[in-house]
Amino acid sequence: MRLSALFFASAGLAVMAPAAFANDTVLADDPADHVIASQEVSGPATGLADSAALRATVYGTPPQDIAPMPAKVPLLEINMHMPWARPVPDVFWFDRDLRVWFSSQDKPAPLAIVISGTGGDGNTAVLSTLRGALYGAGYHVLTMPSPTFPGFIVSASTTGVAGDLVQDGHDLYSAMQRVVASLPGKVRITDIDILGYSLGGANAGVVKSIDSSEHKLNIHRVVMIEPPVSLFASVERLDRLFALSIGSGDAGVERLYQKIYAQLANLYRASDRVRVDENFLLTAAAAVLNSDAEFSAAIALTFRIDLMNMFFAGDLYAGTGVVVDPAHPPKVGDSLERTQQILRGKPFSEYFTKVFAPYYLKRRPFSTPESLIAENRLDIIADALRNDPDYYVQTNSDDLILDKTELAWLVTTLGPKIAVYDHGGHLGNIGDRRQVADMLDMLAGRWRGAAPGIAP
Amino acid sequence: MRIAALAAVAAMGLSGCAPEGMIIHRMPAETPAADNAAAIQRAAALAAAAEAAQRAQEGTEASGEAPTPPLTPADAPPPKTYDPWEPVNRFSYRFNARFDENIFLPVSNVYRRVPYPLRSCVNNFFANLAEVDTVINYTLQGRLGRGVRALGRFVINSTAGVGGLFDFATKLRLENQPTGFGTTLSKWGMHPGPYLVIPILGPSTLREAVGLFGDYGTSYGINLANLYRGNLSWALGPLNAVDQRSNIGFRYYSTGSPFEYETIRFLYVRKLLLEDEGLHKRSPRKPRPPDLPAGQ
Repeated sequence: MRLSALFFASAGLAVMAPAAFANDTVLADDPADHVIASQEVSGPATGLADSAALRATVYGTPPQDIAPMPAKVPLLEINMHMPWARPVPDVFWFDRDLRVWFSSQDKPAPLAIVISGTGGDGNTAVLSTLRGALYGAGYHVLTMPSPTFPGFIVSASTTGVAGDLVQDGHDLYSAMQRVVASLPGKVRITDIDILGYSLGGANAGVVKSIDSSEHKLNIHRVVMIEPPVSLFASVERLDRLFALSIGSGDAGVERLYQKIYAQLANLYRASDRVRVDENFLLTAAAAVLNSDAEFSAAIALTFRIDLMNMFFAGDLYAGTGVVVDPAHPPKVGDSLERTQQILRGKPFSEYFTKVFAPYYLKRRPFSTPESLIAENRLDIIADALRNDPDYYVQTNSDDLILDKTELAWLVTTLGPKIAVYDHGGHLGNIGDRRQVADMLDMLAGRWRGAAPGIAP
Repeated sequence: MRIAALAAVAAMGLSGCAPEGMIIHRMPAETPAADNAAAIQRAAALAAAAEAAQRAQEGTEASGEAPTPPLTPADAPPPKTYDPWEPVNRFSYRFNARFDENIFLPVSNVYRRVPYPLRSCVNNFFANLAEVDTVINYTLQGRLGRGVRALGRFVINSTAGVGGLFDFATKLRLENQPTGFGTTLSKWGMHPGPYLVIPILGPSTLREAVGLFGDYGTSYGINLANLYRGNLSWALGPLNAVDQRSNIGFRYYSTGSPFEYETIRFLYVRKLLLEDEGLHKRSPRKPRPPDLPAGQ
């Protein structure tokens, strides 16, 4: 049976994308190294140069720091058709239904709804960690995909063009209502709280504010975990990281691939192994992922892979014709290799100028590209963040997606309702004891401000 | 009996359905506490392994015992993969995704409710059966040391391991290192060949498919304990397949990406090529025309 070989290769998807793929940009003689190093000197507002932050972002929370977890968490996968879904394009035949995951307590309990980060489905590793922590603390847990995940765009978006905070918030809110209403009958819900990490954090805040006026779910508290402040500024930071560590265009990706291949081949030849399996890839990643440039490339590439899916879907739905010919959309059996190759080289700014802005400018009279950018800042819920006691934020002072101004804005706006940790990069401390304890305190309304030893 | 079993399998596959345009699957429960404890152990093991790998590489480079010079980025195969049968392959891929979603995965999720020790026995049993084919192929590849090792594993596990139900050999630090006829063909100099998506089994190439055929033929020919031609032979393949599936955390289209076919093809063929690099590390690299797609 060679089945396992296939699946190990595919497991490479998960392994290679964030880790192994990255393990190479390399190079002492590569200008990228110097650029990133010199950035460090100038003290980047972006935090891109902080080695510890980059490492934490790639590796995630060390398992020994994870908060105590329950022994067993039951799990249902729910696939639901959303009645407002747009016709499903041929190439997305597999994304017809919205897929969410649900863990229920067998007694009456509050429900925690958790939203995934950029491009993530409703069952990412981070969601699984949060699910464990929340379920262990007595919550029913419902985990949802990001509105930028292709499965959500196809099955639950009213526009197909993802990335707009307010629009995505409304789509998420509608989907949530349907899912919550059809949860298995014996589930007894006493209260509803909402959380999200990364972009999902911003989504959660917006959904809570929509609910404050519509009252269809009566969401009680929201905890926004490491959210961006300005969506487009954060994304541009990641694009810059890509340009610095990998190079612009598809040529950079190809160079990266060649270096990784050679390095993996040499490691494999020096090893005693007879198969390229998951353990080999993990070992190899740990052995060759060294410089800041390599870690940066890992982060940038992971993000670019998510962006490619969103770009493709947006272009297809909006009919903007950047990579998809609106007159002849690809059929289910058509090769997308060329399209994939083109998209690899395209930064977010191109999605914004060629797909997102044209689509929304046409539909929102009096708007300008500048106003679209402004509408995608957390400022749109600033009043609630400032005055409503039920909004909480957790973030890190070395989070890659924030600059100093944005962090300061969060701290002043949230006042005592924010916890800022010294270390973790982006998502590199989710599930650790401190983060989980604070998150649970916030959800329960017990949070009394940062404990001593934590940055203000 | 055969029909009853198939009906049971179909019923298991369909049992997740619920009304109202809504399908609910009960997934195996997550075990975060145990997973995390395992992750701590694994992290330590990985760190040690990574250090050893680094040393091994430096060792071969420094001692000059490297048989051929290390690969440079210019040696990497082109990003394009040889896939002359793409339309058929795409059709099979889609079929496989649907089959997996509706039958294979639900059945394997039900199977995962069987207590772990029992499933581990099933897994060990099939691994032990495959050991015979491994011994033969290591011999064909001229890697006699590994062949003897695999033979040792087979003898230990078949006796002390009660007919292969327990992997006693691994405890004696004789880890499982399976090989097959596909690898033998590679050793004999055959390239992976055209990419091929086999219905139900998934991504492969022509060489690997021939290898699979050879492996099955070998097992069938030897017919160990009359398992392959006996009364229960029809159940053997499916049980093996479900057991394998239940150990693999792959889900078709879980990335939601429209580029999944391309991505899997790319990764699968690169994996084969990397294994080939290891297999031919003692022979000088032959120059290849740069525009030849990977695998051809």
